[in-house]
Amino acid sequence: MENYSPLLALSIFFIVVALLYVLFRPTKGWFWIIRKAFESSEKVIIEDVLKQLYHFETSNNRVDMKTLVQILDFKNTDIVEAVKKMTINDLIYSESDVLKLTEEGRDYALRIVRVHRLWERYLADKTGIHKKEWHDRAESMEHRLSHDEADELAEHLGHPKFDPHGDPIPTKTGKMASVHGVELPLLPVGSIGKITHIEDEPEVIYKQILAEHIYMGSLLKVIENNSTRIVFESEGEEFKLAPIVAANLTVALIEKEVVLEDNITRLSSLEENETAKIIGISKENRGDSRRRLLDLGFVKGSNVSIDLLNPLGNPNAYLIKGTSIALRKDQASKILIKKD
Amino acid sequence: MLASLLLDTVHPILKSGADSVHMHMPWWLAGFLIDGVYLAVAWVIAVMLPPMAIFFPMFTLLEDFGYLPRVAFNLDSLFNKSGAHGKQALTMSMGFGCNAAGVVATRIIDSPRERLIAIITNNFSLCNGRWPTQILIATIFIGAVVPDSLSSFASLLAVIGVAVLGLAFMFGVSWALSKTVLKGEVSTFNLELPPYRPPRFWKTIYTSLIDRTVIVLWRAIVFAAPAGAVIWLISNVHMGDETIAAWLINGMDGFGFLLGLNGVILLAYIVAIPANEIVIPTILMLTVMVTGIGGGAGAGVMFELDSINATGDILRAGGWTLLTAINLMLFSLLHNPCSTTIYTIYKETNSVKWTVVASIMPVILGFVVTFLVAQIWRLFL
Repeated sequence: MENYSPLLALSIFFIVVALLYVLFRPTKGWFWIIRKAFESSEKVIIEDVLKQLYHFETSNNRVDMKTLVQILDFKNTDIVEAVKKMTINDLIYSESDVLKLTEEGRDYALRIVRVHRLWERYLADKTGIHKKEWHDRAESMEHRLSHDEADELAEHLGHPKFDPHGDPIPTKTGKMASVHGVELPLLPVGSIGKITHIEDEPEVIYKQILAEHIYMGSLLKVIENNSTRIVFESEGEEFKLAPIVAANLTVALIEKEVVLEDNITRLSSLEENETAKIIGISKENRGDSRRRLLDLGFVKGSNVSIDLLNPLGNPNAYLIKGTSIALRKDQASKILIKKD
Repeated sequence: MLASLLLDTVHPILKSGADSVHMHMPWWLAGFLIDGVYLAVAWVIAVMLPPMAIFFPMFTLLEDFGYLPRVAFNLDSLFNKSGAHGKQALTMSMGFGCNAAGVVATRIIDSPRERLIAIITNNFSLCNGRWPTQILIATIFIGAVVPDSLSSFASLLAVIGVAVLGLAFMFGVSWALSKTVLKGEVSTFNLELPPYRPPRFWKTIYTSLIDRTVIVLWRAIVFAAPAGAVIWLISNVHMGDETIAAWLINGMDGFGFLLGLNGVILLAYIVAIPANEIVIPTILMLTVMVTGIGGGAGAGVMFELDSINATGDILRAGGWTLLTAINLMLFSLLHNPCSTTIYTIYKETNSVKWTVVASIMPVILGFVVTFLVAQIWRLFL
């Protein structure tokens, strides 16, 4: 106590806080970096290489050592080492410069993809983790789940065919459903389609799509399509996207002569003194929250109107089946209605 | 009225009964049972019961009337910004009455994540047991620094300030929790707004008295009794030439000084974990014992004085300054929940992990805040 001075005490305190921050700050803290370094074993590198090769193969692109090293976030020497080992173990082979998967390697890659997509499905359906984080979490989980655990998970989820972005999940034997549709920028003006896939890579573009509130399974109609922008109408709202962003949306054309009903909109756009009938709940609303909405009476054919507007704008109370239920805007935007 | 009956009338009767010729109760047994256990229990009942018996029925009436869900409805967007549920507004207000009741009230939140947030941050609502502490200290110390005509206004402002600070911490911690440890929990929101209707008055009063007041009170008594025993024991059992209390106080004085508090306050907060109501009586008793000034009712016998000035004199004799007072008010807001609440949190969450988080986190916050205030105060004032 003799040496006490408030300045000294404060500086010791701030040094300790700074130290804790450097060690434990989210994702970039030393503690996490060191832990990650321990986890990124050879197995992880091999599996990531296989996955990349698989993705390049399905999009008909060629990979050589140089691109591989650029894409993967590991030490170059480690990657070279891993590729050597994989060649010895007959997982990959090289034709001149180009790296290719063997039959065995493809099976292995499919297993990794299966775990990745199953885990995304799990995160979407059974947890409250935000969409933005699914990919990164699945990215680390795919190396940890064993084959049997993946099967168990698939059973628990009811053997889903698609992950929440619309990518097909390989079955145990490696079979995959195919995604119908083409990239949005390829559609002519006036065509009507349904969003069947939202690509989650690269992250920057995916985040833009999320911010626009574009949902899987929504019907859309292309209004304008040129080299600078693509405009489409969906669920009573108009969306404008740059072609590079729109290319991440896959849309299945609706062949039959369905007329896109003009007045299908989202519940969030309902005004005071209007009444509407509920058409359904968007696929984006999953799990417990979906079940709860159905329990409360948000089912097809129910009449709905606004009961109370919130002075702060959110949530609003909707009158449904004689009860007043308050919903936040992002929930209401996932309920489709047809105004009377 | 209840206080004077239990503390000033019944206590001396019990004491003299124990001393009388027929009973022949040894001094230590009488001290342990009557000065320790009985006094703590009586104190808790005296401080807690009257406000609770008013607060809970009123609250339940509003609930029955259909008004409270509309509060949640209107405030939801504020709570949403910090990742919490609008209904937390209700559990938080309930916490102003009693944190244990507030924790039980979180059952109305059906989303697991928001419910945990509401449980963990409930402690930032100043409860019934802490309001008197705030008011007393603010009156003695804050009121003294301004002219007499403004003193009651200043102390009122200080108490409200602490309560508002509690709200700020509630929002801040909710936000931090929802961004970090509670990120993955499922979150759903829907709120049913029942129609306004006349409350069933007597039934409501009855259930609120039985369900809330009596249960909470009973738990508080169960926890307060051993606390009273501990307080009496540490101030009467000698180790070497000092009592245990004196040893502990000396040991913690250094740390207490760093926080702008002192060993007496820290010890009082440790032994008063079961009930915030007995913090001030314990501090007074320990201060008198340590400083050796006159007053009080003997070692291990908690007391409070009728005159606020006399209370202030004792505390000043114990070395209290304005800084001590401010930090005590802050620490009273930011410290671990009482053991009743901790037990309730455990019963509601069924998880040791979350119980530990909810108990430790506020104390750490309290240490950091009082520490910073103390250092900055000493640097600039």
